[in-house]
Amino acid sequence: MAKILVVDDSSTVRDEVAGFLRRNGLDVDTAVDGKDGLAKLRGNPGVKLVVSDVNMPNMDGLTMVEKIRGELGNSAVNVIMLTTESSPAMKERGKAAGVKGWIVKPFKGDAVLETFRKLAG
Amino acid sequence: MSMTSRLVSKMLVLDARDEQLPSLSRVYGEQNVIGIAVRNEDLASALAEHTDLGAVLLAGDYDGSPAANEAVAAQLHALRPELPVIMQQRERNEAAEWPLAGRQLRASYAADDPEGLRTAIDEHVFGVTFPDALVDGIVEITTARLRSLFTSMDVAVEAPSIVRDRIIFGEAFSLIPLEGAWCRGYMLMQAEEEPLIATLGSAAARDREAGSVGGAGAADFRELNSVLGELTNLVWGAFKNRFLSEPATGTQPLVQVPLLINHRHRYISFGSDNPQLCFRYRLSGPGTARDVVIDQRFVFSLNWSPEDFDDSGEAADAPAFGEIDLF
Repeated sequence: MAKILVVDDSSTVRDEVAGFLRRNGLDVDTAVDGKDGLAKLRGNPGVKLVVSDVNMPNMDGLTMVEKIRGELGNSAVNVIMLTTESSPAMKERGKAAGVKGWIVKPFKGDAVLETFRKLAG
Repeated sequence: MSMTSRLVSKMLVLDARDEQLPSLSRVYGEQNVIGIAVRNEDLASALAEHTDLGAVLLAGDYDGSPAANEAVAAQLHALRPELPVIMQQRERNEAAEWPLAGRQLRASYAADDPEGLRTAIDEHVFGVTFPDALVDGIVEITTARLRSLFTSMDVAVEAPSIVRDRIIFGEAFSLIPLEGAWCRGYMLMQAEEEPLIATLGSAAARDREAGSVGGAGAADFRELNSVLGELTNLVWGAFKNRFLSEPATGTQPLVQVPLLINHRHRYISFGSDNPQLCFRYRLSGPGTARDVVIDQRFVFSLNWSPEDFDDSGEAADAPAFGEIDLF
């Protein structure tokens, strides 16, 4: 059962992040946008950490988080945004939706691995 | 605010008189012009080869006869009507007689008046000013993102340039809107497939040898598309965070105009005559037979107000990219 769900419309980023986490012994599933992420989360209550992009087609990452907390009523899963966005307004919206942390791309696995382990534990 | 004087522009020089070259070269050097001398019989091949031109500098007596002048005008108008032509007049008022007078011919100057050439280049080629901090910032954020994506490659940057051509070159390109209070337009990233696919294949092979990734075979164009898309996304995000902290909003709906792409003629129009601000990055490294060349273009076709330029968007205490900011 996947413990970490990586949500990004870029296959380059999905492969990079999921590959890095798997090589470090973590259980990972992926989704291609917010809508897909929401569906994967519905079908997999064992997910402890979602790592998600913000700007995605069909459903953006912050809307997905708001739906995770609202529609799914899931307040337990930790969410980290991994995005090119760094505007204070965007971060505020993330905080309000219950996002746990924010990473500005590009992804540097070594810098975040231990935090990911804790949040997925 | 400092406006840049470091931009260059590549121009075809149609002038059969070699004795003119020293004085022209001096002006070109002062004006940041890269002049490419072309003989009449080579004009078509020169236009095919150089797809990133700023203008054509034409001698009024280039090929000596009215019929030859007409042929040059017809070729320029058929192949590259968007390129401004600047004419040096010699014996008489050739500009008035030239077939494209009043259309593609934008300016003329007397042979003994280099100041006239300077003025024409300033007005019709460079025309639009770009802040130094913008040009420097684009290079800085793009090279940093290229290095993060292509970790084993060296990244070199050519002199930023002004292009009036509207040619799509390379084989894959991405396009993303830029929307801010002081500028609105697009960024393009263009690349050729083969060298980039070869580079991605080499990187994947190294990863497989190191046991860090499983199975996938050689890279294909879909992987190239994905990498070009992610590079575009990274640069766009960094550009937005640094330069577009004020959103392009107001009480009125934002204006849009159609983009026009003609695949057959490899042509793209953004609906305005604004020049393109261009950067070329060259990536080299182990396992690459050819350098990977990435062309990046900015077209601020919907709004350009450099007097309101602001690069204070990125907060000074913002965490470095890749590091987590826990709430």
